[in-house]
Amino acid sequence: MKKPQRLNLSELNLGPVKRPYVVLMLEIIGRGLEAASQVDEKIRREVERLPPGFMFEMRVLPNGPRMVMEKTEQGQLQYLGRQAPRTPDVSLKFKHLTHAFLVFSFQEGTAQAFANDRLLLDGDIGYSMKLVRCLNRMESMILPKFVAQRALKRYPTLSLPEKLLGGSRIYSRLAKNLVWN
Amino acid sequence: MTKSYYEFFCPVKIVAGHAALEHIPYELSTLAASRPMIITDKGVRAAGLLEHVQGAFAEGDMEVVEIFDDVPPDSSTTVVETIAELYRERGCDSLIAVGGGSVIDTSKGVNILVSENASRLADFSGVGVLKKPLKPFFVIPTTAGTGSEVTLVAVVNDPVKGVKLPFTSYFLLPNAAILDPRMTLTLPAHITAMTAMDAMTHAVEAFTCMAKNPISDAYAVSAIGKISSNLIPVLNKPDDEAGRLELAQASTMAGIAFSNSMVGLVHSLGHSLGALCHLPHGLCMNLFLPYVLEYNLPQRREAIGELLLPLAGAEIYARTPAAQRADAAISTIRGLRDELHRRCQLPRTLAETGKVNREQLPKLAEMALDDGSILFNPVEVDLDDALAILERAW
Ligand SMILES: [Fe+2]
Repeated sequence: MKKPQRLNLSELNLGPVKRPYVVLMLEIIGRGLEAASQVDEKIRREVERLPPGFMFEMRVLPNGPRMVMEKTEQGQLQYLGRQAPRTPDVSLKFKHLTHAFLVFSFQEGTAQAFANDRLLLDGDIGYSMKLVRCLNRMESMILPKFVAQRALKRYPTLSLPEKLLGGSRIYSRLAKNLVWN
Repeated sequence: MTKSYYEFFCPVKIVAGHAALEHIPYELSTLAASRPMIITDKGVRAAGLLEHVQGAFAEGDMEVVEIFDDVPPDSSTTVVETIAELYRERGCDSLIAVGGGSVIDTSKGVNILVSENASRLADFSGVGVLKKPLKPFFVIPTTAGTGSEVTLVAVVNDPVKGVKLPFTSYFLLPNAAILDPRMTLTLPAHITAMTAMDAMTHAVEAFTCMAKNPISDAYAVSAIGKISSNLIPVLNKPDDEAGRLELAQASTMAGIAFSNSMVGLVHSLGHSLGALCHLPHGLCMNLFLPYVLEYNLPQRREAIGELLLPLAGAEIYARTPAAQRADAAISTIRGLRDELHRRCQLPRTLAETGKVNREQLPKLAEMALDDGSILFNPVEVDLDDALAILERAW
């Protein structure tokens, strides 16, 4: 029997779409984290332990795309867009656009990108670990299981209501945030 | 499993073996240095180890310009800044660190200040802040464990802010690591055992965690073999020069492996335990290693199984069916741990340390999750998992 054909991204010429795709994904991640920090209990607990006014960025070297977020006075994460008003406390830097594309197209997990020396971490390690957990949690909730499994070391056992409700609440919040901002 | 991409870097010259210390003057001269400063601690001085180093300078025209021998076990930016001042006053042009982890990290800090001609160490904290090579810098380890002589990081306490400042740069790597059996010959049995288990853990984690790669694998396997076959013989015969040198080399090789492949959950848990309960790092490693390997077994059965060869030798490896090798490797490590307990009372469990409270376990689990090395552990770890491992290690 013939094996079902699997989409192999490396065979496609994705050069021209990499930059706009990464720009879009950074925005989705920023808005997604913003929404998730409003509705998901686990993410809220992580954000609670970040210092007030904490700022972090995710960027592609040498000069973008970039996404900046800040902890608000209400204890939530707020997406600030592409500009940072000051040097962020924690910076996650991809060495090249292609490496960011590998991660955001779920060909390489975040932890694997760190292990492969493609993703640099600058700033307090403890805070960075909290952020990594927030990112993982958000991905597990909003991505379809078969995609999230590729991106994460372990797909968490989310109860069905958690996945459906959590996911859809993030989505609806994401939609509102996108429209209202 | 092949790795899709990896990097490997180690520019440290290894000067190892009989009469290695006597190579230092020549090695300094190749770097155009002639006025070295030695940085060490009181313990090294009291053990008479400095005499070997000074003896190496006795013939010839180079002299040690200054010796700072008061690095505390928990060094700080203040100490670093004091030493840098002394270095400048005395017109030194190179550094020789003689000691363990704290002395080596302190010296890395001093090298930053004297090379950048600066006075505040905190200004250079972070990743890749340094942009140019530093002064000639040699390391003579006096324990066989940390591997700091081949790592590109240093951690120094900032007493003002009360935080640990990390420094990461290729320029922090020493120019040479000098491994001379005389320098570890008088190490007491329990320290020999603890530090060897730290090196063992570096190699095992480098080999089993997410950043493993073929080149660091070679160093890791070789280090594990050397520790397995030399640790007990050295404890039997502490003045065994050849065995001491094997352990020193193993420690450096394990250091090269993990500075390229990183470490995992044993270190995450160990860093937390060390910080909260003030237990020596090597002891923490010895305690958690078997439990973490059991935890990682489902993801890493094959890699752990391969370690049976350097751990137990060719004969046992060949006799053990492939499917049982990983379990056999873990029980070999347990066996070594029990033997070290019998000989030097090295604790096997958290309870045996006598310094840990059962109520502290949740706090330890929480701290471990915030440790950077957890990122490279092959199996994801959440709070419940970390707590379960701590309970098993109780
Ligand atoms: Fe270690």
